[in-house]
Amino acid sequence: MLALLTSSTLVLAHEAADQEEQRLPTIGAAPDFALTSQDGAEVTLEALRGKVVAVTFIYTSCPDVCPMLTDKMARVQDALGPDFGTEIAFVSISVDPEHDTPEVLKEYAEALDADLAGWTFLTGTPAAVRDVAHRYGVAVAPAADGQVDHTLLTTLIDRHGTMRVQYLGYRFDPEEFRHDLLDLVNEP
Amino acid sequence: MQIRPNRRDFLAGLSAAGAAGILGTPGSLAAEGAPETTTIRLKQSAAICFAPAYVVEPFLRSEGFADIQYVDAGLGIPSGEVLARGDLDFDITFAGTVVHHLDLGRPVTAVGGLHVGCYELFAREPIRSVRDLKGRRVGIQSINSSAYFYISIMAKHVGLDPNEDIEWVTSPEGSTALDLFAAGETEAFLGFPPEPQELRSRGHRRVVLNTIVDRPWSQYFCCMIYGNAAWVREHPVATKRFLRAMYKAAEFCTAEPEAAAQQLVDGGFTEHYDYALETIESVPYDLWHEYDSEDAMRFYALRLHESGMLNSNPNTLLADGTDWRFVNELKRELKA
Repeated sequence: MLALLTSSTLVLAHEAADQEEQRLPTIGAAPDFALTSQDGAEVTLEALRGKVVAVTFIYTSCPDVCPMLTDKMARVQDALGPDFGTEIAFVSISVDPEHDTPEVLKEYAEALDADLAGWTFLTGTPAAVRDVAHRYGVAVAPAADGQVDHTLLTTLIDRHGTMRVQYLGYRFDPEEFRHDLLDLVNEP
Repeated sequence: MQIRPNRRDFLAGLSAAGAAGILGTPGSLAAEGAPETTTIRLKQSAAICFAPAYVVEPFLRSEGFADIQYVDAGLGIPSGEVLARGDLDFDITFAGTVVHHLDLGRPVTAVGGLHVGCYELFAREPIRSVRDLKGRRVGIQSINSSAYFYISIMAKHVGLDPNEDIEWVTSPEGSTALDLFAAGETEAFLGFPPEPQELRSRGHRRVVLNTIVDRPWSQYFCCMIYGNAAWVREHPVATKRFLRAMYKAAEFCTAEPEAAAQQLVDGGFTEHYDYALETIESVPYDLWHEYDSEDAMRFYALRLHESGMLNSNPNTLLADGTDWRFVNELKRELKA
């Protein structure tokens, strides 16, 4: 009897460990921000609490990697179906705020077929944007000809405002990205 | 020498504008605690393969480091020795060399693999394979150099006894193993960028093994990031942030090889833009997620042990001299 109980306890402990292993890690509290949307409204991370949020950093005149990242996110947006906007939000923060005004961001979003019910494009003062980028671990530096070098880093934040996982670069698997978003939606 | 202007003049831009001003104040990433120290010292080296270490500065700043120093450790002094005496915090070297430092009792800790490759074995006729090194004059900078360990392991792997079957030729002071090979005084030479590029520019193109593509070498990290053991132990947050910055820099090299190459030139790490670009484009810097650092260290430690080159038990060395917690956490937290 005792052996049976011990065995059952071990199995349960193993299952719990497996579940914990499969769960996305907890990195820490996601830094809050207060920036201006494509519609001119102030948007904070705090206001998105209750949704799973993907935060990324781009700029609209970026010639190469940002469009690839944004296109990948647009395809994930389409694949998420009704959860997008209701349960999941995307936030793209411009690292070129002097050029990327709300109007420019709105045009960019429309050109991408971004669903603005769930996808917000943000800008702000250069100091505010630099601060947010820095707090998310994104290095930003102006390049010689008006381009902006920056880390391509996309951060997933759970409903409680906790940073759970980051995606580096633009070559990540969009299906894994979608899966992680849905896992966070389904977490209690 | 070809130096192409490049729009992504990252390091130069940072220097001109003031990195702290561009990237914000250090230590403000909220997710983890701030690093226990904001100073970090890396080695100034001419080895182009370590490109991520030369473009890492902005990424380190975004991780909270404010004082980033590149230390000229002196020619011919093993970085493991410099690390062990605390004059350097982190460096990168061949995994087998890290094992050797551990075997000597040097207090260093390997924390993660950086890349596969990028050694090329140049050889004169009639050498066509590693096995053909038997009885040949093989040039190395010195006994206990990384090339010495790597060739020894390769030789052992094909059944040779590196101590008995190879005639090692070390370089006299003021000369290099590359010069000896180019002058015909040795018959084989294991080069590491920029040496292969330099040899090719002198007309030597005969390569019998390239660790980027040839198995089993291509299946393991060549080069390990390792640090002073006390520094790693006393600065776990800083260590993890440093490692994250290195992997971000590695991603930058993969995504923007031309920009990275130009930064190496601007930063004074090489004069040769074309050498840097060729190297950065050929080295797979994006395998840190896929490859297993522990497996690589074990592979090389066991091969050194089989070659009779270790005094200590390899398992003990690996247990005492590695800490994979940081890279394992980053693999979960930082997908790529």
